[in-house]
Amino acid sequence: MVAHGIKDKVAVIGCDATKYGELWDKSKEDLLFEATQGAIKDAGITKDEIDAAWLGVYYFFTGVSGTTLEDSLRLGGKPITRVENYCASGMDAFRNACFGVASGAYDVAMACGVEKLMDEGGRGLPGTTVMGHPVLPRPSAPAMFCLLATRSFHEYGWNKEDLARVAVKNHENGYYHPKAHFRMKITLEQALNAPMIADPLGRFDCCAMSDGSAALILTRPELAESYAHADDYILVKSNSLSVHTAYPWYDTNFDFISAPATVDAAKMAYKEAGIINPRKEIDLAEVHDCFTITELLNCQDLQFCERGKAAEELKNGTFNWDGETAVNPSGGLKSFGHPIGSTGCRMVQEVAKQLQGRAEGRQVPDAKIGLAHNLGGAYAVCSVTILGQRD
Amino acid sequence: MIGIKSYGAYLPKYLMPRELIAKAWDFPAVPGTKAIASVDEDSLTMAVEAGLDCLSGIDPKSIDGLYFASTTQVYTEKDSASFIATVLDMREDIITIDFTDSLKAGTTAFVRAMDTIKANKDISSILIIASDTREAEPATMYEFGYADGAAAFLIAEEENLPIVIDDYYSISANVTGPWKRAKEDNFIRTFESKMDNQIYIQSITRVMSEIMKRNNLNPEDIDVAAYYYNNPRTHGRISKRMKFNQGVAQNGLFFQVGDLGTPMSFMLLISAMKRPKEEAKVILAGFGDGADSILMHVQDRRALRELSKNHMGMAGHQKSMKTLQNYNVYIESKRLLTKDRYVRKSSAVTMWRDTPTVYKMYGNRCKSCGTVQYPTIFRACIVCRADDQMELVKLALKGKIFTYTLDHLVGGSYLATPVPRCVIDLDGGGRVLLNMTEIENPEDNVKIGMEVELTFRKEHEGADFKNYYWKCRPIRGRF
Repeated sequence: MVAHGIKDKVAVIGCDATKYGELWDKSKEDLLFEATQGAIKDAGITKDEIDAAWLGVYYFFTGVSGTTLEDSLRLGGKPITRVENYCASGMDAFRNACFGVASGAYDVAMACGVEKLMDEGGRGLPGTTVMGHPVLPRPSAPAMFCLLATRSFHEYGWNKEDLARVAVKNHENGYYHPKAHFRMKITLEQALNAPMIADPLGRFDCCAMSDGSAALILTRPELAESYAHADDYILVKSNSLSVHTAYPWYDTNFDFISAPATVDAAKMAYKEAGIINPRKEIDLAEVHDCFTITELLNCQDLQFCERGKAAEELKNGTFNWDGETAVNPSGGLKSFGHPIGSTGCRMVQEVAKQLQGRAEGRQVPDAKIGLAHNLGGAYAVCSVTILGQRD
Repeated sequence: MIGIKSYGAYLPKYLMPRELIAKAWDFPAVPGTKAIASVDEDSLTMAVEAGLDCLSGIDPKSIDGLYFASTTQVYTEKDSASFIATVLDMREDIITIDFTDSLKAGTTAFVRAMDTIKANKDISSILIIASDTREAEPATMYEFGYADGAAAFLIAEEENLPIVIDDYYSISANVTGPWKRAKEDNFIRTFESKMDNQIYIQSITRVMSEIMKRNNLNPEDIDVAAYYYNNPRTHGRISKRMKFNQGVAQNGLFFQVGDLGTPMSFMLLISAMKRPKEEAKVILAGFGDGADSILMHVQDRRALRELSKNHMGMAGHQKSMKTLQNYNVYIESKRLLTKDRYVRKSSAVTMWRDTPTVYKMYGNRCKSCGTVQYPTIFRACIVCRADDQMELVKLALKGKIFTYTLDHLVGGSYLATPVPRCVIDLDGGGRVLLNMTEIENPEDNVKIGMEVELTFRKEHEGADFKNYYWKCRPIRGRF
């Protein structure tokens, strides 16, 4: 049997996200309630119309099982599944919800995600204190991605300034987004002079610890006509997931200048969506800029530019909000922070709103096709979603 | 014939100038330096280093036992010898014993190893390792002396040994001092050090005189005397009283590296073995609630010279030692400051199950594609994805950096940062990710392509036991 995929079989009919930030006064229940109620309102439905839900959560201290959503929203006994897949947890929740409606098993499904990092304290992601092998090294997230930076500098001749330009661009975009954690523009000098986190990544090369939640309501296109966004619902063109080893440092062939998970997920997503020239066809992309080096490598792995050319293209404005391929017009993880389980859903809803012409931050002109990309763990898990306007 | 087949030593990377101690406490200046272990070292990890040096060119599986001597063993219940033997990849059907609680534990282990070999036809070689990290109470005179190091001898019964053991002699004497109570004391205590010193001089001269008498040797017959000492002045008095010729009594250690504890006499002997005389008569003596003396002679000068070429010994380590600029590093190394410590999760079950890969640094070779890979946990090949095609292979303890980061976000620690985390391609195959230890100015000194050695270190105390693993370090020259 030939797999059919989900192209044009799923419609986004409502979406929303909370304000992102250090939300000391909000619980995960508050955040999930606000994001899901926002999406429900956007879709013009009641919560009782939701048949099933998938919830992205990474850390067990944020919440385990479907009950995390049930106790926030009270769907009253509906099927809810918690999805965890590193930093792609949110986008994988979206992927599962897509399958839920595309298969015909459900008419209306919800994808949402949440993470409450601030309740654990703000000094970096909890790692080896809570999980992993007793002694095999498990570097901090900045250190993991720094292994890519060091090798990319060596192979491509990039430097700290090339990385800093990513931060400057994304903070420039985030300045205009009301829901961003950081709404500030920064200078190249500020970025370059920031304290070191994992050399060569300084503070502005790293995304922040933040709290936040996002949610989307999905149905099939034929049903979408009867909801609030009948005229401007968004079609899912493809969604892909690629999982590679969590321990790339044990792979003797791993080159540390590319994430094979992104390369594979991009190929799958482009094939299903029928995209031949990503640079030309993708109008905007929300890509996983957990660290500045990640964004540069993402642009290459997603085929927005040639290998080794990302820094130059960025400098030339290719990835500006009004450039050839707008990359992170929302401000990205650099501006929003990265409440892990929520990020994938936030990106997808951001792209949907751009395509609907109602971006909350900078609106990319004439955006017709958009892409969202999550990369998690040690560049191990990648999810790519491509959205388009309704016919 | 039973004798010394090989030797090895370990001196930690850093030397503490006594001047810094004097400055810290406003004491009159004292000359010289002492060796101090890094914060991730203890008697067990240093024993592994000395063992690796001793076994350079020797199959660890060929050895029938391991005797470990220390007054600073890391556990009081749970022996160190079997742990060290595991890390050194020795066989399981061997005899392992810890000799503890006395500074003469090293020489005692030495003579007991000889007895064991004599008494058992199935046991023909035993590795003895003495290692100590004795801590002196800060702001006392002992702080100038107590130092850290390890030394090892491979005792074997075979022909053509470089050094042959002729005789040994011991006495036992109960002396109150120095001591350390098991529960009550953080540091070694003394009551009347002048009396302790007198008893020490009496004991050590008595065992050396007695063994010479038993073997009809006069003081001028002795070529090398390596006896424990913790004070250069007393050392000279003993030499004088023994009527040894000039240069016979080995005294080159205390000034530079301090009082090493149980490995002290071993290290003195090792440092004297570079230019041995033909048929040289050697006395090794240890002290601590009694004393041991061992009489040996050089049988094969050429073999001994070969040993000095293929082992780091003492000199090989001294070349790469660095002098500390700052007393605070010593405070942290010895954990003299009470701080909240970062605790990583651990599991005694996982650590036991992963023994081959975590402690012995074994990897897998995929029989399908030939790729050598680490760790041995995964059953499908990381390169060709073949299922269950793995065979165990021993990985090299040396390699080159492929990529790295200098991590400032190391759990709980803001002193020894940044920590280089290095992806290393091991010589002969296998790729690992290891933290780097003992690197100065990593921003300038860590590079892609840099050669590194693997070193066994203490990682953390998650689950309330000692979690050890390998780190990498700049090359110190291990063979």
